[in-house]
Amino acid sequence: MMSSSFVSESVTNGQRKRFSSGSPDCPHLHKKLCRHTQHMMENQKLANFSVAPNGVNKTTVLGKKQGSEKKILAIKNFKVHNQSAVDHIAESWQFLQEAVVAIQESRKLRDNLTQEDLYRYVDNLITQQDPSRLYYDLRELTERHIKSRLNQFLSGTSDRLTFLRQLNDCWTHHCHQMKMVCNIFLALDRGYVLQNAQVSSIWDMGLELFRQHILEEVVVENRCVDGLLMMIEKERSGETIDRSLVKSLLRMLSSLQVYHKIFENKFLMATEQLYLREGQRLTQDRDVPQYLLHVDKRLTEENNRVLHYLDMSTKRQLIYCVEKQLLSEHKTFLLQKGLDSLLDQNRRLDLSLLYSLFARIKGGLEDLCTHFNAYIKSYGKTIVINPEKDKGMVQELLDFKDKMDGIVSECFNSSDKFVLALKEAFEHFINQRLNKPAELIAKFVDSKLRAGNKEATEDELERLLDKIMVLFRFIHGKDVFEAFYKKDLAKRLLVGKSASVDAEKSMLSKLKQECGPGFTSKLEGMFKDMELSKDIMLAFKQNSHLGSTPIELNVNILTMGYWPNYPVMEVNMPLEMVHYQQIFTKFYLAKHCNRKLQWQPTLGHCVLKAAFPQGSKELQVSLFQGLVLLLFNKADQFTLADIATGTNIEDGELRRTLQSLACGKARVIQKSPRGKDINDEDKFSYNKDFTNQLFRIRINQIQMKETSEEQQQTEERVFQDRQYQIDAAIVRIMKMRKVLPHNLLITELYNQLKFPVKPADLKKRIESLIDRDYMERDKDNPNTYNYVA
Amino acid sequence: MFTLKKWNAVAMWSWDVECDTCAICRVQVMDACLRCQGENKQDDCVVIWGECNHSFHNCCMSLWVKQNNRCPLCQQEWSTQAKGVNFTRLLISEGRWAGEQEV
Repeated sequence: MMSSSFVSESVTNGQRKRFSSGSPDCPHLHKKLCRHTQHMMENQKLANFSVAPNGVNKTTVLGKKQGSEKKILAIKNFKVHNQSAVDHIAESWQFLQEAVVAIQESRKLRDNLTQEDLYRYVDNLITQQDPSRLYYDLRELTERHIKSRLNQFLSGTSDRLTFLRQLNDCWTHHCHQMKMVCNIFLALDRGYVLQNAQVSSIWDMGLELFRQHILEEVVVENRCVDGLLMMIEKERSGETIDRSLVKSLLRMLSSLQVYHKIFENKFLMATEQLYLREGQRLTQDRDVPQYLLHVDKRLTEENNRVLHYLDMSTKRQLIYCVEKQLLSEHKTFLLQKGLDSLLDQNRRLDLSLLYSLFARIKGGLEDLCTHFNAYIKSYGKTIVINPEKDKGMVQELLDFKDKMDGIVSECFNSSDKFVLALKEAFEHFINQRLNKPAELIAKFVDSKLRAGNKEATEDELERLLDKIMVLFRFIHGKDVFEAFYKKDLAKRLLVGKSASVDAEKSMLSKLKQECGPGFTSKLEGMFKDMELSKDIMLAFKQNSHLGSTPIELNVNILTMGYWPNYPVMEVNMPLEMVHYQQIFTKFYLAKHCNRKLQWQPTLGHCVLKAAFPQGSKELQVSLFQGLVLLLFNKADQFTLADIATGTNIEDGELRRTLQSLACGKARVIQKSPRGKDINDEDKFSYNKDFTNQLFRIRINQIQMKETSEEQQQTEERVFQDRQYQIDAAIVRIMKMRKVLPHNLLITELYNQLKFPVKPADLKKRIESLIDRDYMERDKDNPNTYNYVA
Repeated sequence: MFTLKKWNAVAMWSWDVECDTCAICRVQVMDACLRCQGENKQDDCVVIWGECNHSFHNCCMSLWVKQNNRCPLCQQEWSTQAKGVNFTRLLISEGRWAGEQEV
């Protein structure tokens, strides 16, 4: 290798020097020679004996020194140098022929002949006679030898592997011997071949002859290709094969330029057949994750195959073929059979593999994305749609979202397409059920923001709120959320049950960011009212003309419109309280002229001192409960009717209040007859024997019925508000368009309205607006409306 | 037997007006007028009373009188009797409503 490359180098240099002295087609020749030498090196079958480089150099250098008539001088040079050597052409050829045959038969050269001598013979011969003769003599010699090698392959008895080994031996031998021949006949290559474009170099001639006489023999070709395919198939089925043999033979096919013609197509077809069958079989036999692992393994194997012995040009087609047969063909099947369970079981590794495999095939990710989207929709719907699951719905939604987010970021490469599909699917299923999810999310937030929720630290709560906001974003009926949120917030603020002002404000700012300041301005107003009330109470107490009073009064003054609407009730209170209330009203109205105050007894609560014979207690009660209890200062026993007239509390409210006092855990009042429900004839008496281990006792109000009523009220209010919004939108559109057909009006309305509405409801609003003369039906075309200014 | 120790009462305030809605913009006077709602200046939208005891949003009325200095309801010459004061605004200007920046 070393010496050879040295030869090529020096020859090239020598050529360049000579060509520079004026040959017109020197670039072409130079290129050809270079290609030739390069070719020899590529094949790496270089001979390990050396051709004396000096001989080459000397000739050319001398030739150049002694003038421009190179050929004459070269002859002189030889004659001077080899005076005692060969004179006759025939004799030279005789020697050369002998040497070539010796090389062909792997014998040693005759002892007194060095390769340098042989080289000189060649150089000599091509100057003395027509070099084409030498070339064709050599060709004939080579051809005869190659022909003689054919027979060993025709017997057909040897098994395939032996045949392949035989062929490979023949080929390596051919390469080796041709290398030596090339070296000896270097001068022929240089002096003759280079200058005749139609003549191929000695090396190429060898290849041509080899192909023509060995490989193009049908038997050899078929046995060779079949043998190779068989070996590859063996390897695919898990056996170890002689990779270097396969590699060497495939290199041979490439060198002979028949790789594509006789091998590649057959190989690809065999591959396709194999994987077609394998795909059909394994999709049935194996579950999807196993199948995917197998496909991945196959792809790695085929890639290695290309690395180890196949021609690089086959890679693209081969991999495509595997992907097509194992993946593309079964795309839908795999997704339908496997995706849901992978997602159900949160099998991240398998999902990652699925993603990376589907990324390889055309339309794979699109299909995966569609199925992913459909899965979320159908699974999400089961969470949302069933009223029995309402209790855990929000938590389940949060968990589901977490899981899907994790999968998208970890397995699906956070690809935009999947993030979008995830969003779209959530938005779709969460709105499958009207209003309820919004209500439950609001209530969920309430449960987290209410005092006594100690399950989370501040940071955790903050993160949780962020996640809830993500769900909130999907909800179309944001007004439903607002209504319920406001109702709960009001309760938290008025009863002083809010866990943390910071968390409340953080939630508020999130809502503001999401829906704009218009959405939260009233909620903010509620917080401001609470702050203001504190200031007012401070001022009131400083100004108080009451002197010493045992009652500690605290008033929250709410701005009407910011807060939910509460029913207005007039109740009878003890004189002392009425008096106190009047003083405050006066104080307030003096400070704030042009206002009026509406007291809200339903929202009040108080602390009572109770002197029971068994010990005194402090009772935390609602105002209604307190009023009932205070009544018992006057007498020990009352009927239901007595209490009703005494307190003037609304009947339903009163019954619930009495129930809480007489039938709850802490029974400060006794009811006769006993029982859970309050009946018209029941009598109530002060419980003298009341005991309780606690000093401060909180008597809870009965909530149940109230809640369902409240809920209905809240929903009704939302629908009322929506009607106004629909009206406003219709008038806005009609005012702009003046004349509009029904269908177009409906379409525009759907574009403008941000909450879900049924077409029937829209029709009702349109009717109502026609009744109120905001618009009219066209006289000629009843499906078209005209705006009435 | 029972004595009241502590009383947390709740009261709702509203402008002392004869009619709940502003005759100019048809929005309840307790709410901000549409213009202020749109510009998110709810806190600045107060009520104004004329000598005739009719009341409107201050912003609505100030636009109205530019064209016609009469009460839209009774056609009397308009003269202001009183103007609502937004207590929250006052507090903010005194720097006592700290929550404003955060929320």
